[in-house]
Amino acid sequence: MIPACRLADLPRGEAFRLDSDPPVSVFHTDAGEVFAIDDTCTHQDASLADGWLEDCWVECPLHASKFDLRTGAVDAPPAKRPVRTHEVVIEDGMIYVQLSTAAPNLPACVAARLAGAGG
Amino acid sequence: MTSTGLPDSLIATLPGSSYTDPAVFALEQERIFETMWFCVARASDIAKPGAFRTVDVGRESILVTRARDGSVRAYFNVCRHRGAKLCTQESGEVARAFQCPYHAWTYDLTGKLIAAPNLTRMPDVGRTEFGLASVASREWLGYVWVCLAEHPPSFEEDVVGDVVARLGDAEAVEHYDIGGLSVGKRIVYDVRANWKLIIENFMECYHCATIHPELTEVLPEFTDGLAAQYYVGHGAEFGAEIEGFTVDGSAGMDRIPGVAEDQDRRYYAITVKPQVFINLVPDHVIFHRVRPAAVDRTVVECDWLYLPHVVDGGRDLSRSVELFDRVNRQDFEACERTQPGMSSRMYAKGGVLVPSEHHIGAFHDWVRERLGTRQPR
Repeated sequence: MIPACRLADLPRGEAFRLDSDPPVSVFHTDAGEVFAIDDTCTHQDASLADGWLEDCWVECPLHASKFDLRTGAVDAPPAKRPVRTHEVVIEDGMIYVQLSTAAPNLPACVAARLAGAGG
Repeated sequence: MTSTGLPDSLIATLPGSSYTDPAVFALEQERIFETMWFCVARASDIAKPGAFRTVDVGRESILVTRARDGSVRAYFNVCRHRGAKLCTQESGEVARAFQCPYHAWTYDLTGKLIAAPNLTRMPDVGRTEFGLASVASREWLGYVWVCLAEHPPSFEEDVVGDVVARLGDAEAVEHYDIGGLSVGKRIVYDVRANWKLIIENFMECYHCATIHPELTEVLPEFTDGLAAQYYVGHGAEFGAEIEGFTVDGSAGMDRIPGVAEDQDRRYYAITVKPQVFINLVPDHVIFHRVRPAAVDRTVVECDWLYLPHVVDGGRDLSRSVELFDRVNRQDFEACERTQPGMSSRMYAKGGVLVPSEHHIGAFHDWVRERLGTRQPR
């Protein structure tokens, strides 16, 4: 499990971006729930943590595809593939993320870079 | 005769080329409109956060909007990335952000760069440093004013000062609560004339008896040819038979409550240099914004402002609006008739101002001073 940040440091309606590779973002919804998904939009390299959180959805700041924080599903193009979701554990006020073992759905340029970096 | 060769009654105008030469106009754009406070919109035109207007100020396109905290913001309408025009519409509303249609650089309402493709892989790109370049802005009298100067001049001295100079004190204009009035009518005039012809026309009333029959009926003293702006703190009095400031002298709308007894049944006019002209009458305010578009073309946006309940109640404003709409059309027709003469060989050295127009000479001196082309008179 990767420690993200303290729950008290993440106000409702905001996101925290982990500099993992690929990056993961933790969202604290207005209803008080905490979710973690891959930070990168599956359409183009954009940070979903910079997007707009509404209920259990985050809207990509670049081209307005929305992702369901609970399932990773996308509502409408231009993004076509879902983002991965990650398990969240909160212990002693600290948010931890259990990274998914599924293959990420990254946009082509990011996937190529990761492949190169990983050897 | 003076050293200018003119009889004492007359002083010279600017030369014809001042109204026709694109180089002079470019200099005016740079040294007047891009340097001074410029009134761009009614505050209610951008009532909500994210509502915006794009306006040309001098040679620049400026984006005016309202941030989440309700404050007015103004930016150069240019993407910081590759310079594309950010907003191409004249007005509209965004939910949360302005996005460049070229590469999707995305800015929030405070101008900060909030997203761009690959931005997280460029952590050295400062989001404020590469945010929209802002322009000074103010709200006053219910209007949005911007200044493109790097170090804007004092708003109080330049803008408020012009109003005080005309009315005698700042309180006199506050009586009309211009910020609290509602827009009952807006008419945009596209005038084929240099902006200075329009300002000069606003400044004098030597033409009133000839081209403004309805106005001189309501304000008989205008037949003397002395504009309200000739004096400090003087309002032209309505004629004895006149009930209100309307095209036929019939009663106007409800009087603005703050208007003082000595302001009742009077008409005041104010020019705020370089491009605003305000008329105050007991029941409404007429607010002109002059936007120079080319050396021989000027757009004048004119609002008729009334008490909110008068506008909301759907009262018939037509006779009220028609008086100054006719005055404007008569004036702008005269300006359009004058523009071709500016390039006549006969007018190369300009024309003359009669005594009731001599204060226009001070406007000409002011223009020359701004342009750095002051000549000995």
